[in-house]
Amino acid sequence: MSDILLEIRNLRKDFVQRGGLFGRQEHIVRAVDDVSLTVPRGKTLGLVGESGSGKTTIGKCILRLMEPTAGEILYDGKDLRALDARQLRASRADMQMIYQSPSASLNGRMTVGQIVGEPLWIHEGISNNGARDREQDLMHVVGLKEEHYFRYPHEFSGGQQQRIGIARALAVRPGLLILDEPTSALDVSVQAQILNLLQQLQDQFGLTYLFISHDLSVVRYMCDEVALLYLGKIVERAPVRTTFEDSRHPYTQALISAIPEPEPDSQNEQIVLRGDPTSGRPARGCPFAPRCHAEILDRCETDEPPLVTVDLAHQVACHLHPEVR
Amino acid sequence: MSEALLDIQDLHLEFDTFDGVAKVLAGVNLTLERGDVLGLVGETGCGKSMTALAIPRLISMPPGRITNGQILFNGEDLLQRPTGSMQQFRARHLGMIFQDPTTNLNPLFTIREQLVDAVLYQQANVKSVPGRWRGFLPSARQMRKEAQSRAIELMGLVGIPDAELRINDYPHQFSGGMRQRVLIAMALAGEPDLLIADEPTTALDVTIQAQILRLIRSLVHQLGLTVLLITHNLGVVANTCDKVAVMYSGRVIEQAPVRDLFHQPAHPYTQGLIRAVPSGSTSRGGLQGIPGLIPNLIDPPQGCRFHPRCPQVLEHCASQVPGPGAIGSDHLAFCHLYPEGA
Repeated sequence: MSDILLEIRNLRKDFVQRGGLFGRQEHIVRAVDDVSLTVPRGKTLGLVGESGSGKTTIGKCILRLMEPTAGEILYDGKDLRALDARQLRASRADMQMIYQSPSASLNGRMTVGQIVGEPLWIHEGISNNGARDREQDLMHVVGLKEEHYFRYPHEFSGGQQQRIGIARALAVRPGLLILDEPTSALDVSVQAQILNLLQQLQDQFGLTYLFISHDLSVVRYMCDEVALLYLGKIVERAPVRTTFEDSRHPYTQALISAIPEPEPDSQNEQIVLRGDPTSGRPARGCPFAPRCHAEILDRCETDEPPLVTVDLAHQVACHLHPEVR
Repeated sequence: MSEALLDIQDLHLEFDTFDGVAKVLAGVNLTLERGDVLGLVGETGCGKSMTALAIPRLISMPPGRITNGQILFNGEDLLQRPTGSMQQFRARHLGMIFQDPTTNLNPLFTIREQLVDAVLYQQANVKSVPGRWRGFLPSARQMRKEAQSRAIELMGLVGIPDAELRINDYPHQFSGGMRQRVLIAMALAGEPDLLIADEPTTALDVTIQAQILRLIRSLVHQLGLTVLLITHNLGVVANTCDKVAVMYSGRVIEQAPVRDLFHQPAHPYTQGLIRAVPSGSTSRGGLQGIPGLIPNLIDPPQGCRFHPRCPQVLEHCASQVPGPGAIGSDHLAFCHLYPEGA
């Protein structure tokens, strides 16, 4: 068993937008551009970025809910893109996803027991009646009570619904959980409960998390390592401490300074960026250059900076930080 | 200046539902002084948006019902005003912005049409001219022209670059942050005294959120606005507001200047809320939530509505509603731990 559970190599995902008369004009949007990542077993990798940065697309490409345009996805050494439909289905028992909106990801016509039991039926062929003990164990693990078994999702609050989603994901004993903004629809007091539950489950079952989020304070609490995305590219990747204390990329620095700290006397000078990412990527050069607040070199407008190693386990894609050999 | 622009006293609001009467607001007290930026914080369902909608009387009744209380604006009780005059009042004194900038703009009209409409509408409501002077009014074309230059001026004020060109764009050609700026411009068209901002940055990315909050602060300085900022994000409050009111289940449970609230939170709920936000020093497993669930509004707990979840609950918490207890100057907590008038 290697230490790396999931490895992504040069992942690319293009979307084709059609326009013009009869959709004859094609415009290609590169949502994920040459992303390589590794997630060590039992650890949490945070995938951070603003809307449109491609973080959810990466999550969906890993599960092959979306077909990547190019690249390799290795789970435990197996190339997921080489699997046929039957093998792919089997592999999904190892990888489960938890979604942002707990109410939209639960079927309102099924009881909690049926929701939690459905993966057992699909993957292990156990009928709903045969798995009652396991279902109730799962419910107990995520902090739901026995009397919730016959209730419907609408009878629960958002936090409880998210617990149901987690129980369902754990039913097939996965190795990897892809958490797509699991707490952004929840209030802070409930968010704290869910984050603690996720940490406790990780310790208990040795789970590996890919934690997708736009909230850096949550990422700092949850993750071991952070990868920052900007318009489909990784701009910086580092252990979580380094990200918050010694970030090199101007975008990371701006993003961290823009987190509103619950501290009125905070001494942090906020970096307020110009513009927004929707204006799209420049045709050449660094994708972040139009909004960059740091020194802009000539090269920034002509060459795209590669992701280079600047320190142990610390990679940055910025012309201001050349590779250290 | 310490003259109260808005003073809400003991406001009770109920809604008839199929399951019974939901007591959505149960005695809200809130004071806003001129030039204040007051943050109204609370979790889902605590009544913060309902309070905001009750001020301009935008709650449909029925099913809503205000059973008690006063909303004093410049000393005048808005609840006593005839309904017909509320529209004029809103145009003259209030601006509102909401959470989702996309749904508040009409996708079929350009920004020019929507902003000019807003400006003309405000003017029509502000300058009601008696009949025989009508003839001396500038022609409609002239008014439209003036309104257009005013619209461009407003767009400049809220920091939209190339206002003369972009005014001809449709809402979908603007990004989320820019749409929110358009809505702020629209809210400012009538030179309001009070701006009610209901979660104005919740749908935006952090870097854009920082831009919008900075804009709101600068407008407060430039135009002498008073702002009621509703949010669930304590970080936003700490960076933007002068004062904070924390709501829980239909009541304001603590009101304080922003520094006092974060440095000496008095109410156990406020303390729990601040602890629940992960910060840099939180160690793994060290984050504390507030156990339990928010109460049902149809059958809320007796006494203090927080007592079933409170870690420091006293015997009479379950029977008596706590009154205001003074913690410091301008710092009030509605909790039995701090006896009334002490």
